[in-house]
Amino acid sequence: MFGSLCYDFDMSYTIIDHTADLGIKVQSMDIPSLFTEAAYALVEIMGAKANRPEREIALDVEGYDREDLLVRWLEEIRYRIESQALSIAGMTIETLTAQRLEASIAVAPRTSPLKTGIKAVTYHALEIHEVDNLLQTDIIFDT
Amino acid sequence: MEPVHFTRLDPYRLKIERRSPMRTWGLVYASPAIEHTLEKDQALRQVANVACLPGIVGPSLAMPDIHWGYGFPIGGVAAFSTQDGVVSPGGVGYDINCGIRCVRTALTLPELMPKRDILLAGLYNAVPAGVGSTNKAFKLGIQALNQVLVHGADWIVKQGYAPADDLEAHEDYGTIAGADPEMVSKRAIERGMPELGTLGSGNHFLELDVVEKILNSEIARSFGLFENQIVIQVHTGSRGLGHQVCDDYVHSMIATAGRQGIMLPDRQLACAYLSSPEAKSYLGAMAAAANFAFANRSLITFFIRQTFERIFGKSFEHLGMELLYDCCHNIAKIERVMYQGRQIEVCIHRKGATRALLPGDERLPIRFQETGQPVLVPGDMGRASYILAGDIGAQETFLSACHGAGRLLSRGMAKRQAKGRSILDELKGRDIHAMAASRATLAEEMPEAYKDVAQVVDTMTGAGVTRTVARLRPIAMIKG
Repeated sequence: MFGSLCYDFDMSYTIIDHTADLGIKVQSMDIPSLFTEAAYALVEIMGAKANRPEREIALDVEGYDREDLLVRWLEEIRYRIESQALSIAGMTIETLTAQRLEASIAVAPRTSPLKTGIKAVTYHALEIHEVDNLLQTDIIFDT
Repeated sequence: MEPVHFTRLDPYRLKIERRSPMRTWGLVYASPAIEHTLEKDQALRQVANVACLPGIVGPSLAMPDIHWGYGFPIGGVAAFSTQDGVVSPGGVGYDINCGIRCVRTALTLPELMPKRDILLAGLYNAVPAGVGSTNKAFKLGIQALNQVLVHGADWIVKQGYAPADDLEAHEDYGTIAGADPEMVSKRAIERGMPELGTLGSGNHFLELDVVEKILNSEIARSFGLFENQIVIQVHTGSRGLGHQVCDDYVHSMIATAGRQGIMLPDRQLACAYLSSPEAKSYLGAMAAAANFAFANRSLITFFIRQTFERIFGKSFEHLGMELLYDCCHNIAKIERVMYQGRQIEVCIHRKGATRALLPGDERLPIRFQETGQPVLVPGDMGRASYILAGDIGAQETFLSACHGAGRLLSRGMAKRQAKGRSILDELKGRDIHAMAASRATLAEEMPEAYKDVAQVVDTMTGAGVTRTVARLRPIAMIKG
């Protein structure tokens, strides 16, 4: 039923060695896939990947610009994992403008403890920029 | 990114030159050995970035446990005029009033050692710890939570979980004034509701230490410390509630800063003029989160006292379990300070730093009038912690001092270095027994991941900011 939302979690991010916390560098061809890759990275790091989704949740996120929108999007995913005890099987971004994102995420109840506590997504040095015809961004998480 | 230019002022201090768009210079307390640790990351750049914010008074400061944070460096201290300055939620940090407390006991090392492991296991069962830990035995309703947010440690006392005498041994007597639960979001309330009385994860800990060396006998006597004495340290904060408050207000203040025409060198430094309604809302929410943190550490202390009572078969009063002090590490407070010979009112941000009031300060209770406020400096899991008191040089730091050892290695680097090793066994080799909710946390928090806290303390005391009172050695601990 949620096949279109499932994802193979074939990650394309690298970990940044931030002294106090944890960061990732994400690269992608376009903005929707950059947002998706960043979200899957977060799910992977927190250890909240579901194999079999049980239901779908619609997310509607607003931001001032695409960087702010990226933080709000990741924060929304982080909140669902931590506070609503969900694991994530997949996601589809349906609408993405500079200030708004609508998406569906396929979720299941989380049955195991989190691997890494990500307590917030920070704005520190956050910038989406182009490198070798790819979009790239660094995101620092508060752990 | 343009490099940060700095010069050495003396063996303990570096000066960051003012370059546009900085509004002031930077002052970093760092010995040559600590300076060496700053070469690889962006901590000095962050000191310079803070110096760009409006209304900053004096230099942008950093304590010797400085390391790369987000927005502010960890170890950063900055004062902003209440007339034309700002408050920055990122300058307080996510874990609002993450802090440390030290409970002294009348027990000596030989009295404790035969019961060390059973005590450690008892504490591990009594204090929920680990990623996303919740307190299933202590559920708060919304009305009770609101009381916690307004009254902090005082609520714990009123419920009978702590003696009233504990309150004097807190920064601001365990209640930050001006808390406004209405300014705390529903999501923050939801995150905080199940977490009162929990340790959490990361660098949070509960530790049993022995007072290994008294270094200032007069102050130590006044603090009730003696060699071979067992003391307990608890390091935790406002948990998910504080994180959500910070996240909510960093987000909203990005827009506020834009409206108020404030140029931000880093979005994490989002801020608002202290005179604005947005700043007042944040300070109300921040105080509420800070009070949650005071109550959190107080409730954990209740669980600790209960456990000691059960294991030793005596009341906690009989065991001499009195709170020495509880202080904030991440906070912004309106304080009156002496600056250039006159009293001014500023909003002091301490991001990974400790307040260090001097003897005679009217904000201190009688018991600390002659000594000044205890400054608690936890080190890493394997070496030492220190108890200090403020000294006259703290006038240069807006009455602030270091808050710990300061990280040296990233969490990833620490895990790589720990691969194939048993950190538990290594600690046991140093006669330190540990229990942890996660093996990964132990690896991330291994002793080599931190600077040598002795170097940090020597820098503070060498610069005349603190007096070194006692050195503690860890003997048992719980990590989240």
